[in-house]
Amino acid sequence: MSAWLLAAWYDLRDLSGISREITEWVASWGPEWLASAVSGAIGAIGILAVIGPTLMILIWTERKVIARLQVRYGPNRVGPRGLLQPVADAVKLILKEELVPRAADKWLFFLPPVLVFIPALLVWGVLPFGPHMQVADLNVGVLFLLAVSGTNVLAVFIAGWASNNKYALFGAMRVIAMTISYEIAMVLALLTVVFLTGTMSINGIVLWQQQEDLILIVLLPMTALTFLLGATAELNRTPMDIAEAESEIVAGYHTEYSGMRFGLFYAVELANTLVMSAFMATFFLGGWWLWGLDAWVPSWIILLVKTSLVYFVFIWLRGTLPRLRIDQLMTFCWKLLVPAGLLFVAIAAVERTLLLEYAWDRTIALPVMAVINAAVTVAVIGAYARVTGAGAHRAPAGPRMARGRLGGLRAARQLAQAPSGSD
Amino acid sequence: MDGVGHHLAFWSLAVITVGAALGILVSRNLIHAMVMLILSFIGVAGLYLLLSAEFIAVVQILVYVGAISVLMLFAILLTPRAARDNAETAMRYPGLILMGLVIAATVFVALETDWGAVREEPVAESARIIGQSLINEFVLPFEIAAVLLTAALVGAVALARRDDEDIDAHEQSLTLEGREDSGGSS
Repeated sequence: MSAWLLAAWYDLRDLSGISREITEWVASWGPEWLASAVSGAIGAIGILAVIGPTLMILIWTERKVIARLQVRYGPNRVGPRGLLQPVADAVKLILKEELVPRAADKWLFFLPPVLVFIPALLVWGVLPFGPHMQVADLNVGVLFLLAVSGTNVLAVFIAGWASNNKYALFGAMRVIAMTISYEIAMVLALLTVVFLTGTMSINGIVLWQQQEDLILIVLLPMTALTFLLGATAELNRTPMDIAEAESEIVAGYHTEYSGMRFGLFYAVELANTLVMSAFMATFFLGGWWLWGLDAWVPSWIILLVKTSLVYFVFIWLRGTLPRLRIDQLMTFCWKLLVPAGLLFVAIAAVERTLLLEYAWDRTIALPVMAVINAAVTVAVIGAYARVTGAGAHRAPAGPRMARGRLGGLRAARQLAQAPSGSD
Repeated sequence: MDGVGHHLAFWSLAVITVGAALGILVSRNLIHAMVMLILSFIGVAGLYLLLSAEFIAVVQILVYVGAISVLMLFAILLTPRAARDNAETAMRYPGLILMGLVIAATVFVALETDWGAVREEPVAESARIIGQSLINEFVLPFEIAAVLLTAALVGAVALARRDDEDIDAHEQSLTLEGREDSGGSS
C-alpha cells in the first residue's frame, strides 16, 4: 500500500479526508463554532447523499427482486427495464390529493410522516463507513442505535391514533405489542455482541472483528439470526407485517394517509430497512473491513456491498414467507428468541472471561468457541422446533401441520370436536 | 459552557423543554399532553448530551421516550373516555395549588444553591465508569434494584394471569349462553 496516498483529501478510500480539509480550512479563518457546524453539515449532507439516490434504486430493486422470486416480471414499462418506475411513483404520489379525515386529529395527523424520518436519519450518524468515516463515534453507539430506532414506534402509534380509524388503531396497537417484544430480543442480541467485544462503540466492534480476524456471524450465529428477525419485526416487513396486514386491517396505521404522506411512510420503511441492513453488516459481517481488502477497495464500497447482501436477505424473506399470526409471532419471540438470547448472553460472558483470564492462542480458541456456539444454536432451534411441533419428521404419520401447536389441522380438529367451547 | 454553539444549543433546548412542559399543562387532550411530555423528555436528553453525559442522555431516550411513554400511551388508550376534553375536573384547584408549591420549592432551591461550575474535564467513557462502579462500589443497591424489578415482573404476571378454574368457569358460561341463544333462534 502506498503511503503517499494515505489520508490525503483525494484519497477515495477514506472520504473523511475531504471533510477534514474543509473543516480545517474553515477553522483557519472562522470561529470555532462555525467549523463544528460545517463539519456537522458535511456529515448530514453525506448521509442524505447516500440515502436519497439509494432509496430511488431500492424501490425498483425491491419490487423487481420480489417479482422475480414470485415468478413475475415486476415493473418493466417505465424506462429501460422499468428503472424509471420510482420516479413515476413519486410523481404520482406528489400529484395525488392528500386527504385528511374530518374526524382526524388535525395537529397530530400531520406529525407522523415527518416524525418517522427523524430516527431513520439519526441512526446513520453512528454508522461507520470506514475507519474514520463516521459522523459521531459515540462510545455508547449501540445504545444510541437502540434508543433512536425504538422511537419509531411512537410516530407509528400517533399515526394510528390521530387517523381516528379503527383499523389504523388496530395497526398501531399491533405494532407496539410486537415491537416491544422483539426489542427485548434485539437488545439481548446486541448485548451479546457488546459482551464479547467489550465495547459499545460501533466502530470499536468493527475494529474488534478486524483485530480477531473473523466476522461475528461465525462466532454468534444465533445472535445474528435474532438480530435479523428482530430487525424484521421492528421494520414491519412481510413475515412480520401484522401492523399493516392488507388482508386483515386495510393498511394498518397508514390507512388514512394518502398522497406523499403515504409516500413518506413507504420511503421511511425502505430507509429503515437499508440502515438495519447496514447495521447487521456492521455488527455481524465485519462492516467496512474485509480481510485486508479494505486497504485497496474503498471501505464504504465494501460496506455497501455487504449491506446489499443483507438487504437481499430481507427481500428474500419478504418474497417467500407468508405473514405470521400474532400468537405465532409472540411464541417465536418469547419462547425462542428471548430465552436463546439470555443463554447466549451467558455464553458470551463466559467466553469473554475465558479469553481475558487465560492467554490462549486465539486462532485456536475462537474457532473452538465458534463450533460450540454453532452446536448450541442448532440444539436450541431443534429443541424449539420439537416443542412447537414444527420439527423434521423422518416418517410423518400424517399431515405435518396436524402435530403443530401453532394451529393448522390440529386446531381445526379441536374446534370441530368442541364447536361451542371456544370464543 | 462557553462559546456560541453551547449557548445556542442550551437556550433552544431549554425553550423546547419548558415550552413542552407548559404544553402538557395547557393541552386539553391527554394524547396531546403525552406527545408534549415526550418532547420534554427529548429536550432533557439533549441537555444531558450538552453536559457530556452521553450515557445518561441515551438511556433517557431509551427508557423515558421508548418505554415509559409507550406504557403511558397504553394506559391512556385503555382508559374509557380518555380522549375527551379533560379540562373540567374536580382536581383542578388542588392541582393548581400543588403545582404552585412545587414551582415555589424549585425556584427557592435554584436561587439558594451555589451554582459553582465544575472545572474538571468530562469523563471520556462514562458508560464504562458507571458500569464499574455499579458492580464494585454500589453492588448492593444494584442487586436490590434487580430483585425489586424481578418481583415487579413476577407480580405483574401473577396479576395478569387468570386461574385455570376461572377460565373453565368462563368458558362454561359462554357455552351455556351459546346454547340458549341457538335454542331461542331455532
